[in-house]
Amino acid sequence: MKRKIAYIILFFILPLFVGCVDEDSYDNTPAGNFEQLWKIMDEKYCFFEYKHVNWDSIHTVYSKLIIPNMSEDALFEVMGNMLSLLRDGHVNLSYNGNVSRYWSWYEDYPRNFDESIKDLYLGTDYRIAGGLDYKILTDNIGYIYYGDFSSTVSNSNIDRVLSYFSICNGIIIDVRNNGGGSLSNSTTLASHFTNKRVHTGYIRHKTGTGHNDFSNPLAIYVDPANGIRWQKKVIILTNRHCFSATNDFVNSMRCFPNVIQLGDKTGGGSGMPFTSELPNGWIVRFSASPYYDANMNQIEFGIEPDVYVELSTEDKLNGKDTLIEQARKLLKE
Amino acid sequence: MKIRIVLLIITALIISNCLSAEKLDSLHVNRLFNRCVSIGAGYSNILDTYLSTQKYTGTDIRISRETMRLTKISSGNVSLQNFFQADLSYTHNPVDNNNAFAGMMNWDYGLHYQFRLSDKLKLLAGGQSDMNLGFVYNLHNSNNPASVRAYVNLDASGMAIWHFNLKKVPMVLRYQLNIPVVGVMFSPEMGQSYYEIFTLGNSDGVIHLTSLHNQPSVRQLLSLDLPLGSQELRVSYLADLQQSHINGIKTHTYSHVLMVGFVKSLYSLHRKDVNKLPAFLQVY
Repeated sequence: MKRKIAYIILFFILPLFVGCVDEDSYDNTPAGNFEQLWKIMDEKYCFFEYKHVNWDSIHTVYSKLIIPNMSEDALFEVMGNMLSLLRDGHVNLSYNGNVSRYWSWYEDYPRNFDESIKDLYLGTDYRIAGGLDYKILTDNIGYIYYGDFSSTVSNSNIDRVLSYFSICNGIIIDVRNNGGGSLSNSTTLASHFTNKRVHTGYIRHKTGTGHNDFSNPLAIYVDPANGIRWQKKVIILTNRHCFSATNDFVNSMRCFPNVIQLGDKTGGGSGMPFTSELPNGWIVRFSASPYYDANMNQIEFGIEPDVYVELSTEDKLNGKDTLIEQARKLLKE
Repeated sequence: MKIRIVLLIITALIISNCLSAEKLDSLHVNRLFNRCVSIGAGYSNILDTYLSTQKYTGTDIRISRETMRLTKISSGNVSLQNFFQADLSYTHNPVDNNNAFAGMMNWDYGLHYQFRLSDKLKLLAGGQSDMNLGFVYNLHNSNNPASVRAYVNLDASGMAIWHFNLKKVPMVLRYQLNIPVVGVMFSPEMGQSYYEIFTLGNSDGVIHLTSLHNQPSVRQLLSLDLPLGSQELRVSYLADLQQSHINGIKTHTYSHVLMVGFVKSLYSLHRKDVNKLPAFLQVY
């Protein structure tokens, strides 16, 4: 009895020996915020090896630029410049006064898109289903403009659009300047263009803090939609501003035999972004989980089109969109 | 009016007959319940490195319901405890420019052997099932805005109960300690999105065996029961310290909560005893 009671009393002092689960804390100073940012990226960013980025060297260079009394703007600029070396549109540092970004993936290239010319094709009597603006062009070609994968598009929306296009010989899906959004919308839309389950890519995620600590690739499939499925030709129009979920949509659609990608290379953005935070409350977004195409190739820097077409200055002056015109020609062949 | 008085007398007679059939000292003690519903507020400190490197602190509001009774096991030396609590926290980061919500439900159910050291003091030792489901939601995050907390444990549990008088006022002081010994916990891998787990269906490796090495958690409860008029008041301090370190993701939720509730002592009647009452006098 006495021994049992002694055990119970011993049990009561156990909490004194329970350790804390805690994270290394950095001071809210320029050096503390810099080190926290560097560490978050070092442990969680997923493209160091693919992009041949020596993150340790970058620390050596940029840590020398951090001084104790530097201004908030100066600190933001140094850290933003450091992040831009990752050449990743999914990497941002932000606070309520600014957002650092790397947008060279489209800013350094021809736009190959003019919103006002696109509007000439749609006119004012176009139809809207969810995030899709659509119209039948004069030569019996269906035209869809989808400018934001954050705008929800449901199966019933797509059924309505495809039903309306049933008399058309082919359709153009224009995703130029679509900077991404929800992967669910990407998959939902793609599922209406295949009759069978198609392997479209792979995904991995970080499993540890090492730059090469990744899970085994998980195959991704697109299953056919239960509703209306398009059987005729499809041409997707792309430019360098097709990013993230749009890149994923293009990658999926390219796996279907009746689909052609026309225009410029997409902007990429195949790392699913995560968010974390610095001691001063600044938010950092970074790629954490890479997507690959069906052959396990990286698509972080974009997807080359099947047919490369630029928007010509002459067509632009005449109110014509070279990419749409070229797509119409191909669909008529 | 006369009819009502007659009915009341009949009822009183029936009940007194039930009770007199078994004197107080021969009541079935395993049918005596001690029940307390408490509400409280306190402080919460939350870390979840899946969402942020920063610790979020703020207010925790909580409700709990506890029932204890003796069982027939081991000649009435084993008691059963049924403890449920739910809490909601509203927290902010150290520089107070972002907020996070957290919520948790916890249900502990288990048995204790009672070592009666004296008429006034007893120590209890036993085990409990410890089920938990909750979330942390960070308002700034994009693709990883929330983290699910789901785990089930088998806890070692100890309790000390001391009945004493302070200036002739009878009081009961209780201290309880629960420590998870073994369990299972849901956790994504370090960079794994919930989209991959739930939409793409990759749930491999998201359920983990836990023990003291990766889930060193402690739940402590200190309560004082004291009379308040015709009622019995329970004032409690709850230190709910939940931690985990799985898949490179560190989490902790340290809650320190002051709770207040009223204690009810109830006796559970058998159906046959209840049926002795005329139907029109039964509540249902």
